[in-house]
Amino acid sequence: MLFSEMSAKETLKTTKQRMSQYQEELLEQLNAIEVDAHWFRRVFHTFAASFLFYYLLPDEEWINLLKIIIPIIIVASMVVTEYRRLRGILDHQRFFGLRNYEKNRPASYLYFGIAVLLLFLFFPQQIAIPCLLCAAFTDPIIGETRFYLGKKKAYVIGFVISVFFFLITWHQASWWVVILVSVIGASGALVGEMKKLRFFDDDFMIQMLPALLLWLFWQGSLALGLSILPAKMILPI
Amino acid sequence: MLSIQKLLLRLELWFAPSLLLVPIIVSVVFLLEWYTKGYITGSSEYNGELILGLLLILGNLLFDIPFVRSIRTLKKKQ
Repeated sequence: MLFSEMSAKETLKTTKQRMSQYQEELLEQLNAIEVDAHWFRRVFHTFAASFLFYYLLPDEEWINLLKIIIPIIIVASMVVTEYRRLRGILDHQRFFGLRNYEKNRPASYLYFGIAVLLLFLFFPQQIAIPCLLCAAFTDPIIGETRFYLGKKKAYVIGFVISVFFFLITWHQASWWVVILVSVIGASGALVGEMKKLRFFDDDFMIQMLPALLLWLFWQGSLALGLSILPAKMILPI
Repeated sequence: MLSIQKLLLRLELWFAPSLLLVPIIVSVVFLLEWYTKGYITGSSEYNGELILGLLLILGNLLFDIPFVRSIRTLKKKQ
């Protein structure tokens, strides 16, 4: 009786040890995946700067038509994919790098894609390029520096970087336009990144807010008889 | 556990190479455009391509290095 009691205790102890070891291994692997997904998300942002290739495409009638149709098809397929995921037809686990809060709402990549589509279709490249660069680089840089330097310093760095993007795109305009556009655009990008809204992701807002502000500024100037838009930064091949 | 390995495999085979290579290819195209149409002909019209080419390559490398490192670390752990 005593012997079997001892044996049962030992078995229980061994099982407990194995369970905790298994739990530790599992947690370690999940953490590793999380760390990896973190950098994956960052690289996904910087990758988006390649979409600027769009403006290099030749300026011919049939290509111009494709420039409208193909981005719409891509974003439409993203909408369908997200719809299927949210309805549970596609498993959430199949999507690498999604955050927990994206489980029950459209994922950031969809917002990002819609914003890029709107920039391409409705805004001149002088406005679209710096907004896209802000989403591609300012967003991940703020994300990384926030971790090491704190929120305030990260936002200051983000603002300076955004100013730089608007400066390089508008440097051929008059000096007062360059200053105004840089301040308005960078402020819009920063507010878009800082403000967390329920229905609009920051990946959408960081592009659309500065774009809308600059569009209003541009249209207002046109109404006053001023043409502020500088020469195009990217010329078609 | 299997799904984690599958995700990692998919990441290594499909996403990582495209995420790393496409921006570099695009930046090379930008730089080539600047070189052939701007630098050789002495035109400053293509300076935008030069700036964007450099920005793309530097900005991407800044984040690509830790990304590749994280994949390698994860692979070792797996």
